[in-house]
Amino acid sequence: MSYAYLFKYIIIGDTGVGKSCLLLQFTDKRFQPVHDLTIGVEFGARMITIDNKPIKLQIWDTAGQESFRSITRSYYRGAAGALLVYDITRRETFNHLASWLEDARQHANANMTIMLIGNKCDLAHRRAVSTEEGEQFAKEHGLIFMEASAKTAQNVEEAFISTAATIYKKIQEGVFDVSNESYGIKVGYGGIPGPSVGRDGSSSQAGGCCS
Amino acid sequence: MDFKLGRINLKGVAQGVGGFVFGNEDSYKNEDSYMERLLDRISNGVLADDRRAAMAELQSLVAETSSAQLAFGAMGFPVLMSVLKEERDDVEMVRGALETMVGALTPLSSAHGPKTEVQPALLNSDLLSREPDGISLLLSLLGEEDFYVRYYTLQLLTALCSHSLNRLQEAILAIPRGITCLMDMLMDREVIRNEALLLLTYLTREAEEIQKILVFEGAFEKIFSIIKEEGGSEGGVVVQDCLELLNNLLRNNASNQILLRETVGCESLISILKLRKGSAYSFTQQKTINLLSALETMELLLMGGPETEPGKESNRLSNQTILSQKKVLDHLLMLGVESKWAPIPLRCSALRCIGNLVIKHQQNLDLLANKVLGDEAHTEPALNSILQIVLRTSDVEEFLAAEYVFKCFCEKNADGQAMLASTMYPLPASNSTRDEDVNMPFGSMLLRGFILSDTLQDIETCCRAASVLSHVLKDNLQCKERMLKIELEPLTPNLGAESLLHRIMRYLILSSSVKKVDSNDQKERTLVGDQYFQPVILRLLIIWFSDCPSVVQAFLDSPGHLTFVLELVSSQSVSVYIRGLAAVLLGECVIYNSFDGERDAFSVVDTISQKIGLKTYFLRFEELQKSIYFISAVCPPHRRTLTRSNTASMIEIGEEDQTKEIDQKSDQPVLMSIFSGHFVNFVKKLELEIRESIMDVFSHPKSKVSAVPAELQQKEGEGDADYIKRLKSFVEKQCHEMQDLLARNATLAEYLTKTGGVASGSDRNVGGGHEREQSERLQQALQEAIQRIESLESEKAKIQNDLESLSAAYNSLEQASEERQKESDVELNDLLVCLGQEQSKVEKLSARLAELGEDVDSLLEGIELQEGAEAEDED
Repeated sequence: MSYAYLFKYIIIGDTGVGKSCLLLQFTDKRFQPVHDLTIGVEFGARMITIDNKPIKLQIWDTAGQESFRSITRSYYRGAAGALLVYDITRRETFNHLASWLEDARQHANANMTIMLIGNKCDLAHRRAVSTEEGEQFAKEHGLIFMEASAKTAQNVEEAFISTAATIYKKIQEGVFDVSNESYGIKVGYGGIPGPSVGRDGSSSQAGGCCS
Repeated sequence: MDFKLGRINLKGVAQGVGGFVFGNEDSYKNEDSYMERLLDRISNGVLADDRRAAMAELQSLVAETSSAQLAFGAMGFPVLMSVLKEERDDVEMVRGALETMVGALTPLSSAHGPKTEVQPALLNSDLLSREPDGISLLLSLLGEEDFYVRYYTLQLLTALCSHSLNRLQEAILAIPRGITCLMDMLMDREVIRNEALLLLTYLTREAEEIQKILVFEGAFEKIFSIIKEEGGSEGGVVVQDCLELLNNLLRNNASNQILLRETVGCESLISILKLRKGSAYSFTQQKTINLLSALETMELLLMGGPETEPGKESNRLSNQTILSQKKVLDHLLMLGVESKWAPIPLRCSALRCIGNLVIKHQQNLDLLANKVLGDEAHTEPALNSILQIVLRTSDVEEFLAAEYVFKCFCEKNADGQAMLASTMYPLPASNSTRDEDVNMPFGSMLLRGFILSDTLQDIETCCRAASVLSHVLKDNLQCKERMLKIELEPLTPNLGAESLLHRIMRYLILSSSVKKVDSNDQKERTLVGDQYFQPVILRLLIIWFSDCPSVVQAFLDSPGHLTFVLELVSSQSVSVYIRGLAAVLLGECVIYNSFDGERDAFSVVDTISQKIGLKTYFLRFEELQKSIYFISAVCPPHRRTLTRSNTASMIEIGEEDQTKEIDQKSDQPVLMSIFSGHFVNFVKKLELEIRESIMDVFSHPKSKVSAVPAELQQKEGEGDADYIKRLKSFVEKQCHEMQDLLARNATLAEYLTKTGGVASGSDRNVGGGHEREQSERLQQALQEAIQRIESLESEKAKIQNDLESLSAAYNSLEQASEERQKESDVELNDLLVCLGQEQSKVEKLSARLAELGEDVDSLLEGIELQEGAEAEDED
């Protein structure tokens, strides 16, 4: 149970884009082709390592349906990271990204790290959104971007881990007041209280000296 | 403190005003117009002081009389809400408005006016919850600097919860940071924090999404830190509130259970159960409630998520694993078994937790099986200690809780059952003083339950041992067979050894006589023997018999057994449970009967239909089913949610039980536990099998002789006489069988006519539809039987026909042979005549040849030789 940091994530995006499958692939390393509609919010957790430090990810997978929007909004403020997911075979899910972002900007804390994910990239023959468009959108809104497939597991690990790495970097840079848990970050027992004092010297990040 | 003083002063003023204005209770009009004036002063007043005074008046009015509450509701809320909205800066006005609204929502106990009237508080609560944006306005007030503003706001929200919970839950969910605001209150000052705890406890009741958001906001960590701060189980009512909230978050919520398990951990929870060294002997009421609440948390985790959840089982298993990794078993054993001071409800709850911790979880089962309690000098396996509780406690609830551990331990655990059964050998009588239990193996201790004298208490002990034994035997053929071989020392020295089965039957018979003795002697404590001893023993037998023909055989070997059980089924003086269970047991004697001949399934069915009548027999099953529904409806389920309002009463009940003698009511929980879901399903399944197999007996009688057409033919080389004999015996057997069938048919017909006669009588309304269905089925069976008889009859006729034709053939054959005899006689005569003629010819020829000087003898010899050769050729 010991971890250096605990990060809270949310996964948002239109219904049917594969949010629950991404989570399942990440936490259980399996793919479930037929997944029930998520009601409200589901929870998953996994431990990862960044910069040799154990980091616990608490991930809340939200329901994409409009009727659950008000419930899922309650999760924005307390999250350190968000995976914003669209389906590369369904154009409309890409078109709705702006409204999701607006929601996130309105309810989340300003420092939330958002990763844009174009899911179902295994279905290249049915592609309706080009990789370039995804990249362009991410660039315009300051998001990290990746195309992934919950089915083949391609880029799934990477998506969750690089989000965590970004958050970790922000911590090292002193962007967050980690004692305030409302940012979705918690310092664990297994970690180092306050900014890192790279014990093994492997810390490649800028941190280490700022207090 | 100053707030309280303020309140008192205001009240004083208001009482004066109120008393003046409402001197005449009937003048509702007056009241309304006075209320209107006050509200008008508040909303349109020019001088701030005047408006404040009006607010103060209003507040105390509403706090005083329900008629004022009623008058306020209609027009007051919009006015006060606008105060909250527009005049945030005027803290005094805001406080006043909030406090007034709290007053308007608080039911007045000393109700002025008839109680049947609409409760103004309820009405007002409904009105407020319908105010557009009312809830988000109130939530925004939680961000105010002023302590009282936050305090009253929380009180107001809590008051809203008690009447308009659903609407409030929906409204708060619709506000993006609604729950977050409330969660922040947990970090506030103590008074605010405690109010917020209560409010959140309300809000999380059966509201899964709110539960999840709370957990997302870190509720677990906050709850555990408050509990720790307050001193864990030694803490006050705040700890209880925290645990109640915690339980709301975990109840039927798999997602939150996973989060607790995977990221927060269960150490904090388990440490609540840990008794501190210095205070392990003192259990105040609050401490007991706190511990009970923490045990409920365990229970919820061990139950897993909701029934419908696909991952329920794996979630439950994970919870079992993680809890036992943190050594929860030690703490549970301390509370449930070792502590001499723990109150009974606490011990029971801990024991049930132990059961749920091990059930269907291999590692935990092993852990419990190998657990040893006590210090170096006096160690004892934990299971033995728990068995001691089963056998010895004076409290029925505690007996059931301890028995529950064995139920869980044996569930789908054949190895565990075998382990327990392996120690079952009776110890010599000299050893059987009670003090030596400590070193006795489990099985011997259990068997000791069956070798005591036949006093009332011993029957009770036997019945408790029987309840544990039934778990050891359940679904385990090996153990069932093993138990069959156990011989016990005789109760009285001059009798021979007695098998366990016989001994148990003896106790079953004894326990039926218990009641009669008791009713004559009122002074003796009225035992519930009739009510629960026999059902427990019958359950043991039913479980033992199932799938185990050898036990049924042993049972039927003593004719008295069957007779006694038959008596139970037909007895009117025993409870429906006993009659029903006895009927099930009889049924098992049919379906698991491996006898050939005298005590076979057919004879058992015949006995049932002769002694009881099939109708009455099957009626027992229906009565039983109905009563089971009844008992589970009457008794509240075991798991009650602990809330502030019911904990106190629960503890009191627990304490009362300790002092009270076991009374008549106390058999209800025992019956409840006997008829647990599993056993009820088991009995239902058995009932179906029993019905089928009895139907079988009637519709497909086993043929003593199988009528294979080929066998009716005469075998080659079989003498006619043998063939006839064989056919005759065949016909005889058929005849016997037909008589059997006729007898059974007669019973059925009798039963049918009786049913017809009684149909209009009182029995009719017992189970109309069911009865009809049953009689239809029986009628069908009868019809089948009749058809069978008819076909047999026709077969018989055919055989007789065959026989007749055969004998006719035989006769004609004989006639023919007689005729042939006569014919051959005539021929023989002819031949003899011929021969005589030939002879005389030969003589004449010989004389003539001799005259001619021929050697007649040699000539004749030559002819004879020639004839011989010819004859040989012909052959």
